[in-house]
Amino acid sequence: MIRIGEIQESIRIAFEGLQANKLRSFLTTLGVVIGITFVILMGWFLNGLDTALESTVNLLGTDVMYIDKWSWSGGQNWRKTMQRKNITYQQAMEFCNSMKTAEVSLPEAHKWGTTVKERGRTITGISVIGVPYSYSQLPAGTILYGRFFSQFEDEYSTNVTVLGYGVAKALFPEGDAIGRTIKIGGRTFEIIGVIIKRGTMMMDFVDNQVIIPISTFFGIYGMTGRSISVAVKAGSAEKLDEVRAESTGLMRSIRNVPPGEEEDFSINETETFKEQVETLRLATWGIGIGLTLLSFIVGIIGIMNIMFVSVTERTKEIGIRKSLGAKSSSILTQFLVESASLCLVGALIAFTFCSVVIAVAVHLVPEADFLTPYVPPQLILIAAIVSIIVGILAGIVPAMRASALDPVEALRYES
Amino acid sequence: MSTPLIHIEHIARTYEMGGETVHALRDVSLDIHPNEYVALMGPSGSGKSTLMNILGCLDTPSSGVYTFKGLDVNEMTDDDLAEIRNKEIGFVFQTFNLLPRATALKNIELPLIYSGVSSEERKERAIKALEDVGLGDRMLHRPNELSGGQRQRVAAARALVTKPSIILADEPTGNLDTKTGIEIMKLFQDLWSKGNTVILVTHEEDIARHARRIIRIRDGKVESDTINPNPVTKFELP
Repeated sequence: MIRIGEIQESIRIAFEGLQANKLRSFLTTLGVVIGITFVILMGWFLNGLDTALESTVNLLGTDVMYIDKWSWSGGQNWRKTMQRKNITYQQAMEFCNSMKTAEVSLPEAHKWGTTVKERGRTITGISVIGVPYSYSQLPAGTILYGRFFSQFEDEYSTNVTVLGYGVAKALFPEGDAIGRTIKIGGRTFEIIGVIIKRGTMMMDFVDNQVIIPISTFFGIYGMTGRSISVAVKAGSAEKLDEVRAESTGLMRSIRNVPPGEEEDFSINETETFKEQVETLRLATWGIGIGLTLLSFIVGIIGIMNIMFVSVTERTKEIGIRKSLGAKSSSILTQFLVESASLCLVGALIAFTFCSVVIAVAVHLVPEADFLTPYVPPQLILIAAIVSIIVGILAGIVPAMRASALDPVEALRYES
Repeated sequence: MSTPLIHIEHIARTYEMGGETVHALRDVSLDIHPNEYVALMGPSGSGKSTLMNILGCLDTPSSGVYTFKGLDVNEMTDDDLAEIRNKEIGFVFQTFNLLPRATALKNIELPLIYSGVSSEERKERAIKALEDVGLGDRMLHRPNELSGGQRQRVAAARALVTKPSIILADEPTGNLDTKTGIEIMKLFQDLWSKGNTVILVTHEEDIARHARRIIRIRDGKVESDTINPNPVTKFELP
């Protein structure tokens, strides 16, 4: 049985050894430092990715799907998608009027890359979205302050607008947007509300948009020459299959897709994002694990080597300890603790290094707000455990050699 | 006569060296009783160090019987032997064998760590042992900050701190000047007079003359085993 006193003694010896050979210890742990750095950075990035995915899914709504000419996943043949006919406003309205299973369905018209002006200031790259008043029932239409436009304002093509969070922040940093006016497509609009912040780095465009009544939209930009998206809110995640089935059937019939032929539209769901994120996640894992394993192998070889040197250098010490009553298990523990401590110090260096890297990265790329500005605590624990395991793996053979030394031979050893 | 602390009977120790069998010990039998002061004497290569290693449970005989306090050493596992070394035997080596990076106090605490003594008690006993050898003011010195005699006294304190049955000293004055050597021999004399059992391994007649019994080893055998009629009891410089 190993006693606590022996383990304390082993830790003390290990750190004395580290202090006595600072440069050697540092160089030895370099492999582990790199390995742990990969573990922490990979974990940090994946953690951020999960947060981003979660907020993206939440902002779109887990029970919301978009019927579009385009596919979000981009997996399909691009040329083929290009050749699809636009979804017209009439088709969209026919769909919405016939839809039975969904809670809400409504058309959305988009105008990308427009310019919005407020007194002297101009912001470019803004999307103008024309929607009916029922848009406020979608998660994407949640109001931060002010209100959404009414049915009356919608039907009478009023020049009112609800700003995306990003636009509101850029033009009215003090939060006094309501009641002010901005120019969209050369016309003056009264601001009546601001949408909550929804964007993440993956979807930051959703905050850079202005929402206007769809009738007003058509008055400015025209009804033809664009493809309308249909937003469908199932009402609950359980109803998704049913609503998807009805949507597919309904849209095929409206767009006269003959039986057996491929659809000429896409049903985009939050699931698509999950798939995309999963691909990114797998790629990160693949590269990360590969690099981590490689550096750990290098690290283990380095530590094993230095532990063999240490055992040889301290043969006499092992003999002395054995003559004083140290059992083989005590010597084994001592050297395992030493190599584990070496790795733990490596983990500490890696942790410090990663903290700096993460702080700088988050500072330099403020858009990456899905990434935490610190090392997630669970990663510190994982890194510590991994480093101890690596230390034990690297130390086990030298430690066994040390513990098996014959006391008489060891005492006789002169370095 | 009391039951022997050490009883060896017809023990032999052979080594394989470069394909040849070396007979380091051949047919050695002897008993050592509590509170004896024994010198194991012999020239270099006589087998006295091998015998000391066996007596100190650092090594085991190739054949023959060795019982320590009535227990058969041949039957013991490595861990049992480690425990005997820890609790029953205090080694004092010619080269002191102190850990260079540890302070005098830490060196003395070492055997107590392996016997599972709590840290407070360890420290207390180590301080006491250091004070007993007159080095109470050198506790935090490392071996390279101590003189040879002081180092050997630290080694003696380390050997005594577990209150062992036997002090086994291998050429304890070999690396010391005459004056310091005398100091150390006085220390052993004191230990013996306080009831300890002391076994001294030496090739020097002057040193052996301190012991009450002298066992001479030659060519791996006991050449003679005699009571010393005139042990040295005065410790003065020649």
